[in-house]
Amino acid sequence: MTGRGGIGLNLFAAAMAAFLVLPIAAVVPAAFSQSSFIRLPPEAWSLRWWHVFLADPSWRRALVKSIEVATWAAALSVVAGTAAALGIARLRGTARRLALALFVGPVVVPVIVLAVALYALARSTGMVGTTAGLVIAHTMLALPYVALNVGVSLGMLDPRLGLAAAGLGASPWRVFRTVTLPLIRPGVLGGAVFAFVTSFDEVVLSIFLAGPTVKTLPVRIWEEIRIEYTPVVAVAATVMIALALAAAGASRLFRRRAA
Amino acid sequence: MSTVRFAGVSRRFLEITALHPTDLEVRDGEFLTLLGPSGSGKTTLLTICAGYLPPSGGRLFVGGRDVTDLAPRHRNIGMVFQNYALFPHMTVFENVAYGLRVRRVAAQELARRVGEALRMVQLDGFADRPVPMLSGGQQQRVALARAMVIEPDILLMDEPLGALDRQLRKEVQLEIRRMHVARPRTTIYVTHDQEEALVMSDRIAVMRAGRIVQAGSGRDLYERPADAFVARFLGESNLVAGTVQSLGDGRAVLAAPGIARPIAGRAAPGLAAGARAAALIRPEALRPEAGGLSARIVERVYLGELAALRLVLEGGHELWCRCFSAAAPGEDKVEIGWDATAVSILPEVNEP
Repeated sequence: MTGRGGIGLNLFAAAMAAFLVLPIAAVVPAAFSQSSFIRLPPEAWSLRWWHVFLADPSWRRALVKSIEVATWAAALSVVAGTAAALGIARLRGTARRLALALFVGPVVVPVIVLAVALYALARSTGMVGTTAGLVIAHTMLALPYVALNVGVSLGMLDPRLGLAAAGLGASPWRVFRTVTLPLIRPGVLGGAVFAFVTSFDEVVLSIFLAGPTVKTLPVRIWEEIRIEYTPVVAVAATVMIALALAAAGASRLFRRRAA
Repeated sequence: MSTVRFAGVSRRFLEITALHPTDLEVRDGEFLTLLGPSGSGKTTLLTICAGYLPPSGGRLFVGGRDVTDLAPRHRNIGMVFQNYALFPHMTVFENVAYGLRVRRVAAQELARRVGEALRMVQLDGFADRPVPMLSGGQQQRVALARAMVIEPDILLMDEPLGALDRQLRKEVQLEIRRMHVARPRTTIYVTHDQEEALVMSDRIAVMRAGRIVQAGSGRDLYERPADAFVARFLGESNLVAGTVQSLGDGRAVLAAPGIARPIAGRAAPGLAAGARAAALIRPEALRPEAGGLSARIVERVYLGELAALRLVLEGGHELWCRCFSAAAPGEDKVEIGWDATAVSILPEVNEP
């Protein structure tokens, strides 16, 4: 592709890429700063703030909680989202459009509206500040990504494969286990990664639903920034970037293996 | 005993009737072909037999047992799909073994039967290949082995050779025929290819617009077609339109405008004196005849052993004649006649 569009276009593309990536990348050097303030570029390098981050139990707890919540949310939304996609694939016409619209709902509705609604609901059921509350909220957000991802995989699946398996005597569950699931696995795994990342960097719902002992990493970052703006925040952000990149890399790997 | 009996089986899709109430019996071990153009209802009938589609009316019996409401997985059928529907994530072995694993066949027995099935379709040595690496013809054989290995009561095939090239199709036709003769199994085969139907079937049911028009052996259908549609669908045919002049004793005489001589032939059922009808004269029944109708040869097609000649009669009718190349007349002006025992007078059908 190089040279295809001429120098002008390539420069423009490079500028756009820099515009998108640089602000995110800038946080990384800030995490390795020696000074007590975030200043770019850092004047001296050190791992000082990494020690602070790892030594502070509240940061460690937040990181572990984030991973825990994201894992649960990913697992739940994969099961529910795959089931939903299978169901939607059987619908036709208006019913299908309605079901799809319903499932895309949480993505379209402004998150703050969702947060207020869920907060009211969680308060009346005593779920504010609980892990379960966060998991349920994040599952809601992640579900559409799984359902859509799996839906795409299902759309590419030859429906006669299921008929063939049933004709050979397989029960519906066996057909799913031995034929459908192995063939839609790329969509399911891709959906799982999406769900994990969605939960992992979710902040609006989490701020509403977190409690003193149940806090995810983004909530902890937000709290920290409100009090003081030290490079430990950059360390937390760097950890998040690394995990998100790892997840994206994993999903590419799954897709490559499936192809 | 695996007879199949359709009793008044029908199918509607919303307002469209894909299959009118249909009665059909397939004998134990019989190879029956459903032959017809697309949209004639043949695949609908097959799909109902497999259990993938519930009929809108009527009952289906297999071996005397009513299976109308039985799920496909309880019917013990072997189905070969049009594009094979092989499991792309499994090897050849696993594809063929699938139905046996479902039936919890022990490992040793399973390996033996899969091996046997692969030998039968001449694919031994291919067991560990991934399916997507196979050619179309090989995939077709895997599909066949997968359907046969479970010892199904009925074998159903939906245009299984449609995706193969002509040469390969002919080979596989004969192969399927040989396998059927070696081990007769009640088989329903769907195709729109008349030659395929003739090569393989014990009996052919010709379908049109959701109905079986005629069922019988290939010879029956070719020599005694029920109407002009069947005549046109099986083999080459010259159809001459006219009116029935006289009728009786299984014979009819047709008066065709533009042809000086009335055409006599076997009367198909459903004819009425004075009604419109068509005379079927097969191309091979035409021959040079001194004192016959004068005609002009306007086209000669060399087919190797045979030649096809396009003739125009004095009245403007066009007929195809088929004869041995060596016996083809040299000059373009000929006098022709036909073997009256090879002519049928058929009721006209309006093409849909």
